[in-house]
Amino acid sequence: MKGTLTPCKLAFISLIYGLLLVSALFAGCTQSTTSAPATPVATTVPVTAAATPVAVATTAVPVTVAPTSTPAPTFTPSQSNLVVFTAASLTGASNTIGSSFTKAYPPTTVSFDLDGTQALKTQIENGAYADVLISASNTYTTALKNEGYLVNSSVKPLTTNYVIVILPASNPANIQSLADLAKPGVKIAMEDKTVPAGTATIAVLNNLANSTYGQSWKNATISNVVTYELSEPAVATKVALGEVDAGFVYQSTATAAASGTYQSITIPQKYNYLQTYTIGILQESTNKPQAAWFEQYMLSSAGQNILSEYGFTPVVSHYK
Amino acid sequence: MRPGGFRPKNYRRTLTYLAAGILISAVTLYLALPILALLIRITPDMFFATLHDPEVVSALWLSLFTTAITLTVVILVGTPFAYFHSRYSYPGKVIVDTLIDLPLVLPPAVAGVALLVLYGRVGILGRYFNMLGISIAFTTLAVIMAQIFVASPFYLRQAKSLFEQLDPAYEQTARTLGASSLRILTQVTLPMTATGLVSGAVMTFGRALGEFGATIMFAGNLPGVTQTMPLAVYVGMEGNINVGLTISILLVIISFGIMIAVRLIQKREAGRA
Repeated sequence: MKGTLTPCKLAFISLIYGLLLVSALFAGCTQSTTSAPATPVATTVPVTAAATPVAVATTAVPVTVAPTSTPAPTFTPSQSNLVVFTAASLTGASNTIGSSFTKAYPPTTVSFDLDGTQALKTQIENGAYADVLISASNTYTTALKNEGYLVNSSVKPLTTNYVIVILPASNPANIQSLADLAKPGVKIAMEDKTVPAGTATIAVLNNLANSTYGQSWKNATISNVVTYELSEPAVATKVALGEVDAGFVYQSTATAAASGTYQSITIPQKYNYLQTYTIGILQESTNKPQAAWFEQYMLSSAGQNILSEYGFTPVVSHYK
Repeated sequence: MRPGGFRPKNYRRTLTYLAAGILISAVTLYLALPILALLIRITPDMFFATLHDPEVVSALWLSLFTTAITLTVVILVGTPFAYFHSRYSYPGKVIVDTLIDLPLVLPPAVAGVALLVLYGRVGILGRYFNMLGISIAFTTLAVIMAQIFVASPFYLRQAKSLFEQLDPAYEQTARTLGASSLRILTQVTLPMTATGLVSGAVMTFGRALGEFGATIMFAGNLPGVTQTMPLAVYVGMEGNINVGLTISILLVIISFGIMIAVRLIQKREAGRA
């Protein structure tokens, strides 16, 4: 083939087809946005609005592909697999929950997406599909409710958790009390403030500072923090490896760990922060009946027993 | 369209142009649209306001500081290494060659775990450092070490192949004219390979600047100490999305700046040759 593609010709031709493609993309984009089934309007997140056309346009490049990849709602229990977005602090319990739920409601299976609740929230806001959300933060649950992502009537408190300090089994920094956390040279891991456990830890530090230990203790403790991890299990791992001297985690993590993994220092309940987990069904779930079964199961004594086994504290009756 | 445009020969040519045009515009759009989306998503006012956020400022300086050190170390150690490696054959050279390439295919998170279990406080080597009172993990040093591990292969490979491809006749001529080894290196070998070395260094810089997985595993995430720009983007996307977007745009600007600089250098070199 002798087709001499001079740069000039090429540029002109690609310009023409580029323009054609762009117009096709935007045509496809308007179609797909109008036909998308009741996507929740994120009125409270102003930044999302501007990018939607472009974001959709990139996915619309293969014109033959249907605009949305979510299957049509089919309520056939035999087919269903529930996608449960789960706070990372439930990592230990998730396997047991999954297998015992499948046993109780065969053959519905469960896939867990375990991450910090702040990450799950971002994913949901950016279009990730989930049937059920188990959130470790009331704040994030409320935000998602207000943004229209959750079936608000389905959102219920699931369980609770307290903050605890864990130390490597060998206790290399010889920490005997909460006061010792402020000793110079102690290495502490905690969660970033966006992570629910990080928010809880900051609240606990404030409570302790204001009641017993004072502001200078708090400042010294915070200056001993060597890393702000992005999920609660990441802190536990750093402690288990012995890479840090202490970590702020949930009580469930200390309870569920194999004996000899950690030493722990409990924080008195009156200074502690009670983190309430919620469970709720996503508005866009195509498996709402099964999702409701799952929620029912988690709130039932069977589900609650699994959670207690993994060190979670049941929701006190007046919350219900 | 020219007259006779539908003669079979021209028709075929038009088809070729059409296919090429579609292909080129599709690839271009695929690469350009995400960057464009990033710029559209945030208003200029919001961008400049967030630019002064202490989290953004400290991540920016930390990233520039650590990548500058990474680059310096890689160039100072990597250049003579690559030179000797390409000039001499020694037992186990194949293994060294493979090891140089390994970080390119190794997932960065794995690199981070590996560094942690070696240099961490209870790591195989780290425990001895710890006895001497030196801690590496969760420090700025760890950030630099992670970057060097992950990014140095780009420079080493480039330098190695440049030195291998350089015709030995040049060096031999210089030697017969009585030049010392040092003089040959600085006045013959390095000038002849400079352009290639610079582009290798730029690749290393870019990779180091974008390092995420190994850093978060080995160095942790502490603002001002180990929270580099990619980590700040990640944290920002889960909290203050404007911080994430602002740093992303900064990284785009830096990347473009690097590419333009390289083009200019290469152009100047080509003009001189």
